[in-house]
Amino acid sequence: MIQLRNSAGGMKRKLTLTDQPIDESAFLRQRCMSANMGAAAYFLGAVRGTEDGAVINAIEYEAFEKMVVHQFDLLFAEIERRWPVESVRLTHRLGVVKVNEVSLLVEVIAPHRAEAFAACQWLIDEMKRVIPIWKKPLAA
Amino acid sequence: MQITIQFFSYLKELTGCAQISETLAAGATLGALHDRLLAQFPRLAPMRKSTLLAVGVDYQARDYVLQDGDEVSLFPPVQGG
Repeated sequence: MIQLRNSAGGMKRKLTLTDQPIDESAFLRQRCMSANMGAAAYFLGAVRGTEDGAVINAIEYEAFEKMVVHQFDLLFAEIERRWPVESVRLTHRLGVVKVNEVSLLVEVIAPHRAEAFAACQWLIDEMKRVIPIWKKPLAA
Repeated sequence: MQITIQFFSYLKELTGCAQISETLAAGATLGALHDRLLAQFPRLAPMRKSTLLAVGVDYQARDYVLQDGDEVSLFPPVQGG
């Protein structure tokens, strides 16, 4: 498991790459919002039972881990530049993830919902463009 | 100069290896290395335009001039999430 934390007085960031199931309850319990924050946007991605029309039972995720860490750091820096976000946490599963299991969990905390939603959506869109993680469907 | 090349995802299966090493003349570009790899591994040729190129942990354009010891990575479009 890789965990990266970086706050250094600015936006809090936590990235976790893990081959273990994501504990959603623990993720929620670890939320940390200051008094000036009024919105926490969450996104949960789960493995679908079909891929390109074929039934599957799992997806195997492969990552170029040190580049993943660096590229997420660049995305987090851009979020900090664009929006008044207090904190971003992102957990991505690697290895074999079965259908219905959670592959991605994201939290963005901001003063208002507009920034929280915008930053969360932007982060996931950019992740799918630049973060070197690949999926290999495993047939049922 | 000596360059290490890593292949990820299905490019690894198409080349039959995860990592190789190449000796290039000083001043060689990333694009020139890519072309050489396409000649060496013709099964990569159909993905020429969609293949992403990185040096170290950063994406680089084909005109990037390689340095001795660079670690180059080739991979298909990413699919996280």
